[in-house]
Amino acid sequence: MELNEKYDVIVGLEIHIQTNTKSKMFCSCPTDYFQKEPNTHVCPVCLGLPGALPVPNKRAIELCILMGLATKCSIANEIFFDRKHYFYPDLPKGYQISQYKKPICSNGFVEVPSGLKVEIERIHQEEDVAKSTHHTESSTGKEYTLVDYNKSGVPLIEIVTKPSIRSAKDAKDFATKIRQIARYLNISNADMEKGQMRCEPNISIQEKGKWEYKDGKIIPLGDYKLNPKAEVKNIGSITAVEKAIEYEVKRMADELEEGKPLKQQTRGWNASKNITEFQRYKETADDYRYMPEPDIPVIEISNEDIKNISKELVELPNEKIKRYISDWGITEYSAEVISSTKKSADFFENLQLILSKKIGEKEAAKEASNWIMGPLYAIANKKGKDFSEIGVNSEDFAELIIAFKDGMFTKNKAEEILNESIDKGINVSEEIQKLKSVKDSNGSLTEVVKRVIEENIQAVTDYKNGKEASIGFLVGKVMQITKGTSNPNDVRNTLVEELKK
Amino acid sequence: MKIDVKHIAQLSRISLTDDELKKFTPQMETILESVEVLKEIDTKNIEPMKGHVKLQDLREDTPSESLSQEEVLKNAKYKENGCVKVFGKIFGESQES
Repeated sequence: MELNEKYDVIVGLEIHIQTNTKSKMFCSCPTDYFQKEPNTHVCPVCLGLPGALPVPNKRAIELCILMGLATKCSIANEIFFDRKHYFYPDLPKGYQISQYKKPICSNGFVEVPSGLKVEIERIHQEEDVAKSTHHTESSTGKEYTLVDYNKSGVPLIEIVTKPSIRSAKDAKDFATKIRQIARYLNISNADMEKGQMRCEPNISIQEKGKWEYKDGKIIPLGDYKLNPKAEVKNIGSITAVEKAIEYEVKRMADELEEGKPLKQQTRGWNASKNITEFQRYKETADDYRYMPEPDIPVIEISNEDIKNISKELVELPNEKIKRYISDWGITEYSAEVISSTKKSADFFENLQLILSKKIGEKEAAKEASNWIMGPLYAIANKKGKDFSEIGVNSEDFAELIIAFKDGMFTKNKAEEILNESIDKGINVSEEIQKLKSVKDSNGSLTEVVKRVIEENIQAVTDYKNGKEASIGFLVGKVMQITKGTSNPNDVRNTLVEELKK
Repeated sequence: MKIDVKHIAQLSRISLTDDELKKFTPQMETILESVEVLKEIDTKNIEPMKGHVKLQDLREDTPSESLSQEEVLKNAKYKENGCVKVFGKIFGESQES
């Protein structure tokens, strides 16, 4: 039986993001630890030495609130921290300062391209743990762990969705949107390879019609027993979010079809094999013995504070997409691609603005979008860069587009000039002027065609005697004279007309 | 009053012998019983007493100098490549965060 006929896919995501602060969450140690000497960005606080006291970082809390505002969350007016206890070498205090019952942000959502509004349960503030690497001593075979505390105490926000996602694609798209928002607002660089963003999906499959989604929870209907979920860790890229979920859904469906009961478990994504691997069963509920953090007072957030922080909001990708589509008639796909980074959206909007001085506002947007999504995208792809980063001057680009629209030259010629302006730095204006003078000196296309007919009697005779291929020769002659300023189709049509005479 | 000392010990990564379990369980139960009297107080409608601070008065995000690597590793019994070295198989593969 087909998988999607029998089961529904239910996914919730936990996304951790390191926020862009200069100092750590509860101490003044610098956060620029990446690729630095181990244990050089550490003090008594982030090392958990006895008697050291945490001092919360204002900017970190502002950034957490900003993420909440961007995802339509309600923001708490009082912030509490809690201690989450567990013992592990990467957590020197024996507890992580986190938030338990009262997160800073709650009940938000982000819309993904399928139209689904992914519901966010909470966004809370916590601190990152140290980095540990596992080794085996070659002489004794003993296993050991090396711990670098530079990362310990870096501000971390955790975004938790409700189990409101129903496909691997929507999960991937949600993670993408979160990363875009974080980057647009400079909350984080959210680079997954550097560990600045981590995604952990919770996945289960349930028989169709046997459950309902109510108040952010999956409720079984009648005497149906819900299948347990699997949590996947170690996901290192956004594409892997989708792949890992697809893999898990298939694995769980296969096991159920084979009559094996599912068990709640934690699995790890193996990116080289494209599979998830069993890590451990979760038979008992986590027992973190949360308690209120007594060393940090309640932090009061006034409405004035929230108003001030909201001044940092900019137009976000989803808002841009809606505006591009409704105001300018851009296709949804183009709008998604163009708005994917703030830099590329700015590039597009600037090009549109320049073009709109010469042509209508909508037409300007469509031309800008077509030229970016077509030629510019192709050039950027070859260079392995974003189109906003290949050094195209928007003024030049606009001039080129207008000249093409005026029929100054063919699209091929325009792309050639664009390419050369990027690679060889030729002056686009001058190039256009040159071609213009070629065109002016040649007179109209009809005049050039007439001249070519006069000068190539043999080919004309051949054509008239039924050798249709010789028109290609004549088109080539015209193209040579006009140096790409004329369109081959126009040339061919004009030639056919003139040869009928 | 029942307390699962074995479970608490496991959470704290402490191994206890059966004798130790027998010895500690009544001791910890006594502690809990003496604290239990606090539950008799009616705290309904009473907010927890905590200090308050305004967001604007929190620490500004300015980094300052950390300890030297040498100082950081001073208390570590074992060290390697500038890291603290910890022996023993660590449960699970992945990190908590």
